[in-house]
Amino acid sequence: MIPFFKRAAPVHDACTLGRTAVALPLSPGCGAPPGCPVVIVDADGRPRRATTPAGKKVELRPGELAWAFHPGPYTIAMVPYAQAPEIGLRTTFAIDPQDPAAAGKRFDLYLAAEADGRVDLAMLGVKVESAVRSALEQGALDLPPCADIDEWNAFRQGLNRLLYLRFGLTVDDCVPVELDGIDYAGQLAARAVPVASAPVPDKVVPDLADAKALRRLFLELPCLMCGLRFGALPNGQDQFRQQQALLQRLDRLSVEITSMPALVLAAPGQPLALDEQLRRMRHSRRATVALDEAWALLARLEGAQGERLAALYDEAERIVANLEADCAGRRAAKHVAEAA
Amino acid sequence: MNSPAQAVCRTRLPDGTLLTVTASRRERAGRADVKCTVPGDAQLAERLQQVVRLARHTEAKIDSRDQVVLSVDRTPAGRDCELAFVLADRLVRGVWHGRGDIVANGWSDAWQLGRVDGHDVADASPDTLLGGPDGLAHLGQLDGHPDPSARVSSARAWFPLHSGGDGDGLGWVEVSVHPLEGERLDEEQTIAVPGTDAARQLAVRQALAGARHFDGRGLGRWRTTVRFGDAAFAGRSYELALVLADRIARGREFIPRARLLATGCSDAWHAGRVDGVDGLAPKCALLLREAGPGDRIVLPHAWRDALPAGFADEVRARGASVACVERIGII
Repeated sequence: MIPFFKRAAPVHDACTLGRTAVALPLSPGCGAPPGCPVVIVDADGRPRRATTPAGKKVELRPGELAWAFHPGPYTIAMVPYAQAPEIGLRTTFAIDPQDPAAAGKRFDLYLAAEADGRVDLAMLGVKVESAVRSALEQGALDLPPCADIDEWNAFRQGLNRLLYLRFGLTVDDCVPVELDGIDYAGQLAARAVPVASAPVPDKVVPDLADAKALRRLFLELPCLMCGLRFGALPNGQDQFRQQQALLQRLDRLSVEITSMPALVLAAPGQPLALDEQLRRMRHSRRATVALDEAWALLARLEGAQGERLAALYDEAERIVANLEADCAGRRAAKHVAEAA
Repeated sequence: MNSPAQAVCRTRLPDGTLLTVTASRRERAGRADVKCTVPGDAQLAERLQQVVRLARHTEAKIDSRDQVVLSVDRTPAGRDCELAFVLADRLVRGVWHGRGDIVANGWSDAWQLGRVDGHDVADASPDTLLGGPDGLAHLGQLDGHPDPSARVSSARAWFPLHSGGDGDGLGWVEVSVHPLEGERLDEEQTIAVPGTDAARQLAVRQALAGARHFDGRGLGRWRTTVRFGDAAFAGRSYELALVLADRIARGREFIPRARLLATGCSDAWHAGRVDGVDGLAPKCALLLREAGPGDRIVLPHAWRDALPAGFADEVRARGASVACVERIGII
């Protein structure tokens, strides 16, 4: 049988798309499900949209990966404060299939940089929740007790921008709700009982975690620089110089990322001790934390003026300094005791 | 953030004298993030550096641009000075805004969790911050936040005390809730207010039971202990702080980034209503003086139109925020 005339195979688990799965990887020869845009990520990590009509086979070149995503809408309940588990935010979001942003479609970048196979709604929800929690802790978003309607609207705007810039999600609706399914008294009582088998934290495979973190840095840093160039329009000569200096440092960082030494090698042909590998992995993971903070910062830049803009520039300096420190740590073959 | 270049925290030595921990912040310039110096004891200095680094794990923001240098004027004894080092490190970076002359004693085996396990000093003065379950058990408690890993959830809120004299300042109320075991009792029977007279105990019980009735899911689930700060006071304006601390402790209210400052009372907590109280002008002045970055001020709705001109802007300039609420509950 000549393979050219084979029908396109249906995507595995296609019926979960739009319900429990946000995006599914397409294996070569699969057809795109109807109504679901297909993102193809080439071997360099650059995403593009497939132009194949629904139902037809998606053609992939070697080294390319493809995902089909459902634009939604999806609803999640997130808990903005870990210490207040009975109050949640019921959030409905969608993914704009025709994202017109000049800097490229953000959700496509998310798939290229962070997706590892299937993107589950639950997993995405956890990531959204932790992004919101850290924005609240750092003061990037404000949701104080007894928030009035103005504060709530400001929070909503900040949330919209944060979720778009970090994940490419468009928030349709967000309401505070009491989570009836959660019993805080029960949770506290459970803490009192010594757990026989302590919950094993997610096992981290050093080389995988490191590779993922570096992939994120490699793909997202250029987009971040683009955002900083357009978003943080400087106010006056000094700020212009500050912006140029920041962009230069980010430029140097992305060069550094592309020439990062392998995790397992101290020097060509010389293996690195396991402890040092773990240290390198921790540094690259901490660098992705700074990356998350940088997206949150871009979300706040829009429309910032005067003193607020100056404070955000200071925040950008902090984030870039952290990135530099962690990249230097990732590069070093062994822990150097810093000068006191 | 405009944090000071230098900060001081004291700790009490076993012989009763005070030891001063000085923290100063300077450009990192490729040096270590924390440097501790102890005269004549390099090993202890290294251990204290470890303590400070571990305690930083509980913070939301990392800033690798600065180096903090911590030094002492004498050799500390034992581990009791750990808390003072941690607090000095936080003060100088503007992570915590302590007021006045801070004396702190405490040690911990789990600084990375923010826990403070105990203290050694026996004859401390009453305004000393003492680590341990009966004092400061958790670093988040400095801002009144519940410990995310403890079996008891306790939250603290502050309220202005106004008498027109030197005693003006902030009083605090702390609500601790444990899950209720066994049969369901009358809600007021499950609320204990140790160390107060019967009238205050009754008022606290009625306010909390009423507010929980309004909450819907508050009743019949908790055993509650309410503690007040040492400052003596009269009147009912602490009630709003009490009710909000209770809601935070029960995990049913958003959490302020720093402290919660509130004043207000109500004749109808069961309806969630917040009524006005007296002393608007002096209390606003006091709150403005005390508010720091991240603090949240909650006032009764009746005060909204009578607030001093520019009050909200001045509060915002200090990094805090203010709301005038008609009723409790979300939005």
